[in-house]
Amino acid sequence: MTTVRGAAAALNPAPAISFDHKRDAYGFAVRPQHLQRYREYANMYKEEEEERSDRWKDFLERQCESAPLAINGLPGNNSAIKSNVESTDSTADDSSNNGAEAKHANGGKPDNLSEENKEAPSASETKVHQVKIWAEIRSSLRAIEDMMSSRVKKVNLIKNEPVSGMRKKLSPIEEARPGKGASEEDSDEEFYDLERSESDPNLETLSADAIHALDTGVDSHATQPESLPPWKEELECLVQGGVPMELRGELWQAFVGVRARRVDNYYYKLLAPETNLGSKNTELDDRNRESNVLESVGVPEKWEAQIEKDLPRTFPGHPALDEDGRNALRRILTAYARHNPSVGYCQAMNFFAGLLLLLMPEENAFWTLVGVLDDYFDGYYSEEMLESQVDQLVLEDLVRQKFPKLVNHLDYLGVEVAWVTGPWFLTIYMNMLPWESVLRVWDVLLFEGNRVMLFRTTLALMELYGPALVTTKDAGDAVTLLQSLAGSTFDSSQLVLTACMAYQNVQETRLQELRNKHRPAVRASLEERSKGTKAWKDSQGLASKLYSFKKDPGSVIIGSDKPEQSDMQMNGDVSHLDSLSVDGDEEIDPVKDLKEQVVWLKVELCNLLEDKRSAELRAEELETALMEMVKQDNRRQLSARVEQLEQEIAEIRQVLADKQEQENAMLQILMRVEQEQKVTEDARMFAEQDAAAQRYAAQVLQEKYEEASAELAEMEKRAVLAESMLEATLQYQSVQNKPQPSPRSKQAQQSNQDHSPEIPTRKIGLLSRWRDRNKDPNDEKSLNEGQKLSPKQDNTNGHEVQEKV
Amino acid sequence: MASSGNKNINAKLVLLGDVGAGKSSLVLRFVKGQFVEFQESTIGAAFFSQTVAVNDATVKFEIWDTAGQERYHSLAPMYYRGAAAAIIVYDISNQASFDRAKKWVQELQAQGNPNMVMALAGNKSDLLDARKVESEEAQTYAQENGLFFLETSAKTAANVNEIFYEIAKRLPRLQQTPNPSGMVLVDRPAERANTASCCS
Repeated sequence: MTTVRGAAAALNPAPAISFDHKRDAYGFAVRPQHLQRYREYANMYKEEEEERSDRWKDFLERQCESAPLAINGLPGNNSAIKSNVESTDSTADDSSNNGAEAKHANGGKPDNLSEENKEAPSASETKVHQVKIWAEIRSSLRAIEDMMSSRVKKVNLIKNEPVSGMRKKLSPIEEARPGKGASEEDSDEEFYDLERSESDPNLETLSADAIHALDTGVDSHATQPESLPPWKEELECLVQGGVPMELRGELWQAFVGVRARRVDNYYYKLLAPETNLGSKNTELDDRNRESNVLESVGVPEKWEAQIEKDLPRTFPGHPALDEDGRNALRRILTAYARHNPSVGYCQAMNFFAGLLLLLMPEENAFWTLVGVLDDYFDGYYSEEMLESQVDQLVLEDLVRQKFPKLVNHLDYLGVEVAWVTGPWFLTIYMNMLPWESVLRVWDVLLFEGNRVMLFRTTLALMELYGPALVTTKDAGDAVTLLQSLAGSTFDSSQLVLTACMAYQNVQETRLQELRNKHRPAVRASLEERSKGTKAWKDSQGLASKLYSFKKDPGSVIIGSDKPEQSDMQMNGDVSHLDSLSVDGDEEIDPVKDLKEQVVWLKVELCNLLEDKRSAELRAEELETALMEMVKQDNRRQLSARVEQLEQEIAEIRQVLADKQEQENAMLQILMRVEQEQKVTEDARMFAEQDAAAQRYAAQVLQEKYEEASAELAEMEKRAVLAESMLEATLQYQSVQNKPQPSPRSKQAQQSNQDHSPEIPTRKIGLLSRWRDRNKDPNDEKSLNEGQKLSPKQDNTNGHEVQEKV
Repeated sequence: MASSGNKNINAKLVLLGDVGAGKSSLVLRFVKGQFVEFQESTIGAAFFSQTVAVNDATVKFEIWDTAGQERYHSLAPMYYRGAAAAIIVYDISNQASFDRAKKWVQELQAQGNPNMVMALAGNKSDLLDARKVESEEAQTYAQENGLFFLETSAKTAANVNEIFYEIAKRLPRLQQTPNPSGMVLVDRPAERANTASCCS
């Protein structure tokens, strides 16, 4: 028992583990970008945790009180709870002891009795097998466990037929390890009961009759727990609210029905070859890890190398996964691979097993893993991962239906939901959500016993983060955002409650319908692909086919049957040539019948030729179809281009027309302006001409005026001359007719004014004067003298004239 | 598919290869410049994105790091469908991982995008003593299959950025170029003739 305690202590993180600044309360690394938020939530988690343990304690106490025959056991149970809460280390002892006491006291129920019988030997067994790492869960959870275990039984009963069907497929492996296969396939709890009653650890001695007897026993067994539901709903609420840390390991076991699943010694039997191999393994570690020692070992050992590779890659650096922890992990994974060789080892199991190891002892973890993988995730981690792909299609349906807008956006960005949700489902959210949230999801998932919670959680995440996703601009951003948002979903209560409340209507039955709808398509595409990979197979693949054919004695019918079977194996191995060759080598019969080989090869050759021909035909067809499509596509593109160009031309024309119109308008305006300009220019010219003319006229007038004034001056001169002449004449006359000078002059003046008598005299005078001037300058002198004299006379004359006038 | 904007290209890139060849480590080195001795096993696939500048353009890689285990193979098409580039990773100290890499190349050639840029990365080049795959062998194989080949080490960071840059350079971009350049060629001589006649 000390070993049990030691192991449990090493692997179970103490609930009060201190908050390391980089690791959370469970010892898992917190990503640096989430440290801040984790710290914010750490206190909330603590509070929630306290509330939770109170509520559960209360529930379990009431549970014990209401248990029909538990009155005697009550004090014992209560003390068990208290001690459980106090320390996990001691619970392993206490609970089993208390449980045993309580059951002893109960006594009334037949199955309780049998359980009690079982318990005693199991306790002693733990002491006998020193390596054994197994602990019963505390008795206070027994009622829950019983209820849950009923589910296990039913599932297994229903499963019986397909399992037996599968066994045929697995027969080669069973041949490899005779006897073990039987125990594997019928690992129902019935064995458990029987084995207890016989207290015979040797499973292989089980007879078929015993199995029958058990089957009938189970039927009556299964009906009983149906009467329990009154508190089931409360339990469901509690589970959705979260499971307290210190009860989590045990409750999970109760949910999965570990005790009902457990077959005594089975785990050790599985590991039995390991005892030889175990020592080898440590050597292997020391030597070289990847050296291929495995070919010589049985088929499941091909997983050995992969498991070995993944051990240090499972929660690297986790304090609990030290060397002992990793050895335990190796044992669990190896045991599972041997337990279910058709699945073997799949990456992701290492994380599941690692998590379970942190919460419970090794063998318990193994049985929990078996429950989860064989029941909850049947077909998920097998070679084809069929169910995993089916689930993604189902999920896509649901997301499409619930979030049409989001899906539209993702479609537009070219993002497939499954890119992100595929890993979510496969890891059951491990490493995808913060740990608190992961554990809360697991609580519900394990309780419900199916994968519904996977869907509900994704739908809740989409509801929470869909609005943000719709704002993203490209595929990369969308995926990054979704990943990082999911990674920071620290509010685990919000997540789980949204999942459970808002998507309550997502039910297993509906999911099953959708799965059935999608499964054929996935299967078909898998087959298509495996055909594709088959085409790449080299002669080795053919050889293995050949040999598997050869193993059967000649008959055609069996011959056609056998290759099919090996085909199935090959599909399973999806182009894994190494494993294929290993399979093939195993099946190789050293005896070689050349004739049969030749016949087989011929047949195969014919088939291949035919395949090739049809493939070629198909290829031709496809090519012509493709050409056609390309042509059509080209034509469509061209016509689209032409249309576009035409449109462009029309547009350009339109623009051109507009431009022309504008130009015309401008021209008109310009012309008008020009005309106006011309008009004004003309006007200006006219004005100028006018001005010139006027100036000219003015000049002319000026000239005329000057002329006139000159004439006037001359006339005046002449007049003066004439006057002087007249005066002279008058003077001359007066000299001649002295007596009457003045009246004559008056008369002369009067006659001058009359003009008629005056003019001839003047003429005469002028002519004579001219003649005189030309003939005799002296005359002129005299004339000048006379003229000189005249002004005086003129003046006097003037005076006289003026006086006269 | 590389969608070409003017100078920004988004390119989906997928990493394929055997378990423990170092796919995740390569990405982690390229995206975050980190290396851890024990990288957690990748389940399904993990996504990263990183932008690099090449010549005049920036390439935003949308990187899908896939799970290496055999059976996760069945999920791979979901991730390599429509990818513009792929890095097939093997471990130079593990012959089986090289054989597996060849299988991936075959599958991509058969089912992937024919214009996909494929790179072969011989990872863990720091483990010279444990070398099982000669680089000449890989180089020859890469040439025969139209891949380009580099030996990388996520641990020492050797050739890690280089392989991504080399992919970025080889991505087909500006896919619409043929048409405009054709038009220009037709137009220009005419213009030149015109100007020539004008000038002379």
